[in-house]
Amino acid sequence: MSTVSSEIISQIEQLNREYISALDSLDMTAWLNCFNKKGQYNFISEENHRRNLPIAFMLDDCYKRLQDRVTQVVDIQADSTEHYQTRHFTQLMSVEALDNGQYQAEFNYSIYYTRRDSNQTQILCVGRYMDVIEIAENAVNFIKRKAVTDTNVLPRYIAYPV
Amino acid sequence: MAHTTSQDPLLTWPKKYNEIPKAVFEMEELWPKELETIFYGEEWHPIVHRAEIPNPGDYKAAELGEMPIFAVHGEDGVIRVFQNTCTHRGTSLITESSGNKKELECPYHRWLFNLQGDLVGCPNSRDYSPSFDKKDFGLAKLRVEEFCGLFFVTMSDKTPPLKEYLGESFYEPLSRVLGGDGRLKLIGYQKVMYDCNWKAYCDNDGYHAPLLHKAFALLNWQGGKGVQNVSENGHLSFESELKIPDDITALEDGSILDFKGTETSTGSIVQMQFPVTVYSKHMDMLNIRYAFPKGPKGIEVHYAYFSHEDDDEEMVAHRIRQSSNLLGPCGLISMEDASVFSRIDKGNKTPGNAIFQKGVEDEHVLSFTVKQNDESGNLPRWEHYRKRMGFERSES
Ligand code: FES
Ligand SMILES: [Fe+2]
Repeated sequence: MSTVSSEIISQIEQLNREYISALDSLDMTAWLNCFNKKGQYNFISEENHRRNLPIAFMLDDCYKRLQDRVTQVVDIQADSTEHYQTRHFTQLMSVEALDNGQYQAEFNYSIYYTRRDSNQTQILCVGRYMDVIEIAENAVNFIKRKAVTDTNVLPRYIAYPV
Repeated sequence: MAHTTSQDPLLTWPKKYNEIPKAVFEMEELWPKELETIFYGEEWHPIVHRAEIPNPGDYKAAELGEMPIFAVHGEDGVIRVFQNTCTHRGTSLITESSGNKKELECPYHRWLFNLQGDLVGCPNSRDYSPSFDKKDFGLAKLRVEEFCGLFFVTMSDKTPPLKEYLGESFYEPLSRVLGGDGRLKLIGYQKVMYDCNWKAYCDNDGYHAPLLHKAFALLNWQGGKGVQNVSENGHLSFESELKIPDDITALEDGSILDFKGTETSTGSIVQMQFPVTVYSKHMDMLNIRYAFPKGPKGIEVHYAYFSHEDDDEEMVAHRIRQSSNLLGPCGLISMEDASVFSRIDKGNKTPGNAIFQKGVEDEHVLSFTVKQNDESGNLPRWEHYRKRMGFERSES
C-alpha cells in the first residue's frame, strides 16, 4: 500500500462510495457508470471461489452484460420482485498498483436489507470485493468488481447486484 | 396440540381433486408425520453425483429430513452414504459441506473409520463392555442406488428399485439432464434459502411459465411443442422444444441465450421428483436442484451445475456463463419463481382451498393426461402426498 498515494486511495474510495450509493438508492444507471467499457462484474460464493468452481450468482463478463443487468433489474423483473432496501457498509483493506494506471483493491463489505413488507432488517450477505480499478485522465472506473460472499447460502433470492 | 390417530386426522382433504387445503402449507404439526412417511419412508432421494466427489476420499455432506448424512468416495472407487455420526456416542464426523479425507477420525475418543465405513481403531478397547465387537460398530450405511452417476438413498427396505420407482418416462429424460451418459464435471453451486414450506417450493406448474416470467415475452421467446408426463407416485416431467428468436432486441448480448445443443438434447427439460428434487436442462444448462426442507418453514436449495466431459473449452465457458445468469436465485428466467414461493406462503395463511383450474376437465377424476401448459400435472403429486399422509377425502 505504501507505493500508492493518498490521492489515489481517496479516488478509489470515492468510486466505491458512488457504487454503493448507486445500489442503496437503486439507481442502476449510476451503477453502470461505475464501470468503463472494459467493465466486468461477478458475484460469487466464497465456496465456489475457494474451490475454483466458476459458477457465480451473477456473471457479467463484458460491458454488454452489464447493460443487460440493468435491463433485467429495471425492465424485466421489476414487478415480480418484493422490493427490499439495502444498505452497504464497506472498508478498504488494501490497494496495490498494477501497470497502465490500474490498481488492485480489496474492500470488506456487509450488506443489510430491510423488507418493505415487514420493515425488519436482516443481513443479506457479507464478504469482500476484489477489484481492478482504472484511473485515467478524467475517469475512475472499475474494470473488474468481484463480490465474493462468505454467505454461501443466500438468505433469499437476490434481485439487485451487490 | 392435535395428535395423530386414524380417528383424529390432522387434516381432512377436499372432495374435488383440484382443491388443496391451504392449511397444508401452514400447519407445523404436519412436519413430524412428513418426516416419517415421506422423507424416512419409501421414497428415493438424490444425494450426490459422482462428478461432485470424483476422487477417493472426496466427501459431501447432506441431510435427509432432519438426519445429517454424508457421501464419500471410497478407496475402492465405491461411493457410499453414511449417517454423519460416530458409532461410539454420536459426535458428528463431517463438519464441512465438502472436502477430502484419508480416513474419518472422531475427535472425541479418537475412534477411527476408514472410507469404507469400517471401524479400524478405538483406543483402550480392552476395557470396553463384554459384548463389544469392532465389526458391529462400522458407520451406519444407507441403502443406495445409482443412475447415470447420480446416487440416491432411501431409509426403507421396501422402496422399489430405483428405475421402477422413477419409471421410464422419468428416468429417460433424466439421463439427458445428466449429459446422456452421466459423464459430467461439476462447475459449481448456487445455494439459497427460500422462505416457504417445502411443498410450496415444489408446486411450480406448467401454466405459469410464459405468464410469470416476463423474460419469455420480452425476448420474444415462444414455447415450442411440448409434453408433460406425470406418474402415480408424484413425479412430473416436462419436455419442450425451445424456439429462441435469432434476433433478441431486448438484450445487448443475446449470446447468453445461445443453444449450442448436443446430440442428446431437446431444448428444455424440467423434472420434479417427489418429494423435493428438481432437475432441469434448459439450453446448455445441466442442473440438479438438491433441496433440504428446514422443518415446516424454509427450504435450502443447492443448485448444482455441470458440464460434460466431452465439452471443448468454449462449450464449458458457455455453460458457465449461461448457468450463472439464467437459472438460480438471481436468474434472468427464474428469479420470479423464488419471489412467488414466499408470496404463496404468505397468501396461504388464509382460510379455504387453493384451487387448480388450468387443464382440469373433471374435478372428480384424477387425470394423468396433461398438456404442456396445464397446471393439473401437479395434482397426481398432491394425491400421492395425501395418500402418504393418510388424509381422508371429505364426502362432500
Ligand atoms: S463419540 Fe466418537 S469416539 Fe467417542
Ligand atoms: Fe418458473
